[in-house]
Amino acid sequence: MSSDKKHPKESDIIKLLEGDSSRRSFIKNLSIAAAAGSAALTTGCIPSLAEASTEEMKLRWQEFFKKHYRLMTQEEKDAAVGRLERLAKLENNLDLQMGSEPPIDGVLYGYGFNITRCTGFMECVTACIKENNLDRKVHTQYIRIFEMEPGKLDPSTGDGQYYHEVPVDNKFYMGTQCFHCENAPCTKACPTKATWKEPDGIVVVDYDWCIGCRYCQAACPYYGRRFNWGKPEIPKDEINTKQHYLGNRIRPMGKMEKCTFCIQRTRKGRLPACVEACPTGARVFGNLLDPDSEIRYVLKHKKVFRMKEELETDPKFWYFID
Amino acid sequence: MNRRVGLCFLLLLSACIYGSFAMAARKSFMDEVRESEAPFDNRTVPLEKQVIEETVVTMSPNNDEFFRVLARKKQIGRYKCSSCHTDKPVKARQGLELTHSDVVLQHGLGGRALVCIDCHHREERDYLEDKKGRKIDFDHSYQLCGQCHFRQKRDWLAGAHGKRVANWAGERVVYNCATCHNPHSPRFEKRFPATYSVPLD
Amino acid sequence: MRALHEKSLKTFFIDGIRWNLQGTPAFQIFRLVLLGCMGLGIYAYSFQARYGLSVTGMNDIVSWGFYISNFTFLVGVAAAAVMLILPAYVFHDPDFHRVVIIGEGVAVGALIMCLTFILVDLGGPLQAWHLIPGIGLFNFPSSILAWDVVVLNGYLLLNALVPAYILYCHYMGRKADERKYRPFVFLSIFWAFSIHMVTAFLYQGLPARPFWNNPLMGPRFLASAFAAGPALITLILAIIHSSTTYKIDRSVFSKLRIIIVISAIINLIMLFSEIFKEFYFTTHHSISAVYLFFGLDGYDALVPWIWTSVCANVLATLVLALNPGKNNPKVLLPACGLLFIAIWMEKGIGLIVPGLIPSPLGEVVDYLPTWVELCVTLGILALGITVVTWLVRVALIIEQNENPLG
Repeated sequence: MSSDKKHPKESDIIKLLEGDSSRRSFIKNLSIAAAAGSAALTTGCIPSLAEASTEEMKLRWQEFFKKHYRLMTQEEKDAAVGRLERLAKLENNLDLQMGSEPPIDGVLYGYGFNITRCTGFMECVTACIKENNLDRKVHTQYIRIFEMEPGKLDPSTGDGQYYHEVPVDNKFYMGTQCFHCENAPCTKACPTKATWKEPDGIVVVDYDWCIGCRYCQAACPYYGRRFNWGKPEIPKDEINTKQHYLGNRIRPMGKMEKCTFCIQRTRKGRLPACVEACPTGARVFGNLLDPDSEIRYVLKHKKVFRMKEELETDPKFWYFID
Repeated sequence: MNRRVGLCFLLLLSACIYGSFAMAARKSFMDEVRESEAPFDNRTVPLEKQVIEETVVTMSPNNDEFFRVLARKKQIGRYKCSSCHTDKPVKARQGLELTHSDVVLQHGLGGRALVCIDCHHREERDYLEDKKGRKIDFDHSYQLCGQCHFRQKRDWLAGAHGKRVANWAGERVVYNCATCHNPHSPRFEKRFPATYSVPLD
Repeated sequence: MRALHEKSLKTFFIDGIRWNLQGTPAFQIFRLVLLGCMGLGIYAYSFQARYGLSVTGMNDIVSWGFYISNFTFLVGVAAAAVMLILPAYVFHDPDFHRVVIIGEGVAVGALIMCLTFILVDLGGPLQAWHLIPGIGLFNFPSSILAWDVVVLNGYLLLNALVPAYILYCHYMGRKADERKYRPFVFLSIFWAFSIHMVTAFLYQGLPARPFWNNPLMGPRFLASAFAAGPALITLILAIIHSSTTYKIDRSVFSKLRIIIVISAIINLIMLFSEIFKEFYFTTHHSISAVYLFFGLDGYDALVPWIWTSVCANVLATLVLALNPGKNNPKVLLPACGLLFIAIWMEKGIGLIVPGLIPSPLGEVVDYLPTWVELCVTLGILALGITVVTWLVRVALIIEQNENPLG
């Protein structure tokens, strides 16, 4: 990060934190951080602001007062995207290609997960981390894979933190992520309409409109949402520069984020990163409104079920058995 | 007094009726999904990434639609086989270099383990051969696999087994059986996961 | 006191500030301590502003912690002012009329603390303007949090403006026109119930969290609030009675005791009902309760916490109900304090944290607040106490119609 050069004190803290990723030890080390932080405080609360150029300040000012994404006209969206690209160039010397592609007419995304095929290799998880610019410092992961005992279908009975050779005989593997519920409790809960369901079924977050109250996180019955407790950190050479305003752009601190079915890919006809990475073909993705699509075949011909169906959230994510 | 009670009762009743209608009227998006029978033209979706791999055309028996399968021959290191397997017997000197000792055959369980010529054509080595004696091109090896794994083939043709290449939209291009499975040892080997979930506290 | 003709709205505020800057040395030290606590809170918050909420003990599983716990509890304290307003303005109880203004002051202080707790809990406090209808985008009526924003701010306005109007009239030396404020008093009574019900619905409306998704939540919130709030007001009245010239009648205390006892008993009955439901036939919906009361998978940070709370609650309720010292303040006041703390423990952390544990996918973690959270909370409590003392001091001086400083 370029900020390391700017604020040696902050980088010291970051180094300190990188020694151990867990937050508990962070707390232990906080006394040291407190000393360093108080020194930083005396030199000015937000030094990065003080060193920002006039252009950067102007862009940030405009960013701060921009509208909710859904209230923007296409020109305003383009302008916002342009500002974000320019800011990334100014702040971190990154050349982003950010988009704001609208949903495609006649498309409703659906997702199938074959619990017979998944073997728990977790290739999907690593692909998701890379594709979606997830925070490497605290190891944010949208996808979780649970190792399940036969006879159980509730992931809370499974092991979500396994690390051994897989697949283990007589166990099966079950992945969870945001299920893009039609009747989503999170969008209902959000007090500022910062999260909503797009016409193509993807539940998205306007990261700049979110106030970080985390009510949606409490409302989600699937643990599908993640919060940026600190500033996300991604090594500069690992940043995916193909971004979408509602998708994988690097999230600000204190905002909610979640799986977007890789909106930056799927709205351009591509498969989500997890589907593309799956070595066993356990993941099926497609257009629910297309009678010839793979996902429709799965729904019609396979034994499908959805998680916590009793909550009537109507997820667009089905588990199925060969 | 009675009138008031009656009014309350009426209000309650109408609320109940309204509630039950509201429940009944609540439509799931699944109804919309089930009703959408009009074909969707995948080619209208602008694609960011074109499939550049070599493919062959095949036809799905389910809906009489053509789709593409990743070609196989270019991926086989020592194809064409006939460059060695000529009419003449293979010399031992070449045999040392070009032997198939790297092939570990673990296909078929127990007493039904397969041997080379169960799949490879007995005479024409550039081809495969199924149990009915039909010559099968390597690019269309799914026809051979499907004679035993007919359930998987049925799912694969329709998209419930295997997966598409790169795009959900555009022309349908799917992985070959042998793209994912080693035909000589088709079961996925056990290995460590690519990553792990961090302990949360 | 100024001469009557000099008085205006401007001097009302100036006098309010002036009275609060002056005082005995003990009072000044008290002020300084509060100020110091607030400074500590701001210092701790500066870490949060810089490094985000990662400096708190919260994580993606326990996404609400100490701040929201305190917020939830304090909503109850704010709502409890209605237990003084109702008898004073509606039943014209003369005893309560004398102290209702103090209850309203406590409500204002509690509400300011509530709103500050929400603000410090936000990941993007600078974006809080997105909540303002008109310039922001308000998800009303769908989001219960949006409802909460409306009812909390509305209740704050009601509880600040009605007493301010009455006090201003008294300051100006005239009687407040009851016809003018009475509708607002009635409104504030309904509003008091609504702030607590809406806050309960905030949790009750989440099917993702079976521990909260329980129809007893709202009523139990009310019962516990009407026990804890008046208990706090009793303590404050006792302090005022002993440290100022404003004397409070014994009958006020005994009436408050009855309110507290009834509410506390209803609260205990409901607690028993909840415990019965969770443990008579334990289902996977009871896991949070199992975690809270007995611990789960070796995680048991809250077990001593909740049992302390339950024991203290029962003990305090028994003492207040049986009244062993025959209205002896040396027995009743500590019991009030104990009850207040017991309900704070239970309706704060004991309610919010186990609702989030285990996660919807079954992961169990323990939550412990960090020093940042504790210091920020201390700062906010100091802010609340400061607000209450400022308001009460102004109120008492005007009500006694004399300036102790001449």
